[in-house]
Amino acid sequence: MVCREDILSVLRTIDDPEMPISIVDLGLIERVEVERGAHVHIDLLPTFVGCHALPMMERDIRGKVSAIPGVAEVTVRFLFSPPWSVDRISEAGRAALKGFGVTVPRRPPEHIPGSSQLVELGTPRPAACPFCQSSHVRLESAFGPTRCRMIYYCEDCRNPFEHLKRV
Amino acid sequence: MIPNNLQQPMIDLLLSIADDKFILGHRIADWTGLAPMLEEDIAFSSIAQDELAHAQVLYDTIGAWTGRGGDHVAYGRSPSEYRCAALVEVPDELQWDVAIARQFYCDHFDLLRLGRLARSKDAQLAALAHRLAAEERVHVEHMDHWITQLGKAGGEARERTQRSLDRLAPAASMLFEPTEGMSLLEAAGLYPLAERDFFSAWREDLTRVAGDAGLNLRLSLPDSHAVGGRRGRHDAAFAALLEEITEVYRVEPMAQW
Repeated sequence: MVCREDILSVLRTIDDPEMPISIVDLGLIERVEVERGAHVHIDLLPTFVGCHALPMMERDIRGKVSAIPGVAEVTVRFLFSPPWSVDRISEAGRAALKGFGVTVPRRPPEHIPGSSQLVELGTPRPAACPFCQSSHVRLESAFGPTRCRMIYYCEDCRNPFEHLKRV
Repeated sequence: MIPNNLQQPMIDLLLSIADDKFILGHRIADWTGLAPMLEEDIAFSSIAQDELAHAQVLYDTIGAWTGRGGDHVAYGRSPSEYRCAALVEVPDELQWDVAIARQFYCDHFDLLRLGRLARSKDAQLAALAHRLAAEERVHVEHMDHWITQLGKAGGEARERTQRSLDRLAPAASMLFEPTEGMSLLEAAGLYPLAERDFFSAWREDLTRVAGDAGLNLRLSLPDSHAVGGRRGRHDAAFAALLEEITEVYRVEPMAQW
């Protein structure tokens, strides 16, 4: 009999293909269930629609989970509801990303009554440079090396760094 | 679940969204390596990737309904089966002002359209549209920034941007040509009307940005009798463009990549 915790501990060893953060800490895992002790169902929430890293993640997940003794079948689904957001990234994940030079937008202050959610989405600027902690940073480009990241520049330590987009 | 009699209208609506993104994504991918500066190269390449990814997920959705798969929907149709508006087909000849004007009109329209679909009674489509809108919003902000920069720069930048906005205005109004059966979807709450009138909202959003930058917009709704891309009427240049895009698929329809 395989249990849910066995699956989760394996998923914690699988990193996002483009950043040193596990897919669990990144908040991608929405549901893990084991049916009749052998059939594993995993639902993931993609960060971006049609992200190129998804097939790689699916391959890694299938490979590692089907290697767990007792697992007979693995079903992986990608869902858009609930939507993934940067708020799903764990504290450990945030720390790992910071060490890698990627900052995560803070949660928005609070819901603005009467406004639609589509209007209030937007990416708050990073609080501080991940390298020198200076708050003297400016947006260099709203687009970066992958679809989910933008580029900032620190005016103090003169390093560019990446900031996740809030979508 | 979408009732039987509304399935074809919904397919037409989703095709209009996907085909706009598919053709526009290909158009702006031409800028990869050629944009006026490195940051813009990255921006346009990212936007192109977003548009093509959005088209793909919509084609996959339609393909799952029709049982023929997303690739067939994307590549296996004749030109008259495409539902994109003529604006996305306009070549920019690598003129930056044309690319920005085209994208400015299209992105604002797309965001409002996705916002409506995000309120659909079909929960799955609504969730997907909500996600797509969040990504599209970044494009809108970027285009607003460019229109502001080019307008406020004055001189040749302002003149050329104004000229392109004027030249593309008639094609931009045809973004609003309804697809077949759209009123049925509106009445059924599957593609609900927004609080603000759709066309006025688009014109106001564009005018707020362009007006601040000293640019004028002359936009009007299309003649209700005008038939264009939303109902499958495209010009010969579109057929040629499609032939190029679908070349690999036609050579080997079962190819995997």
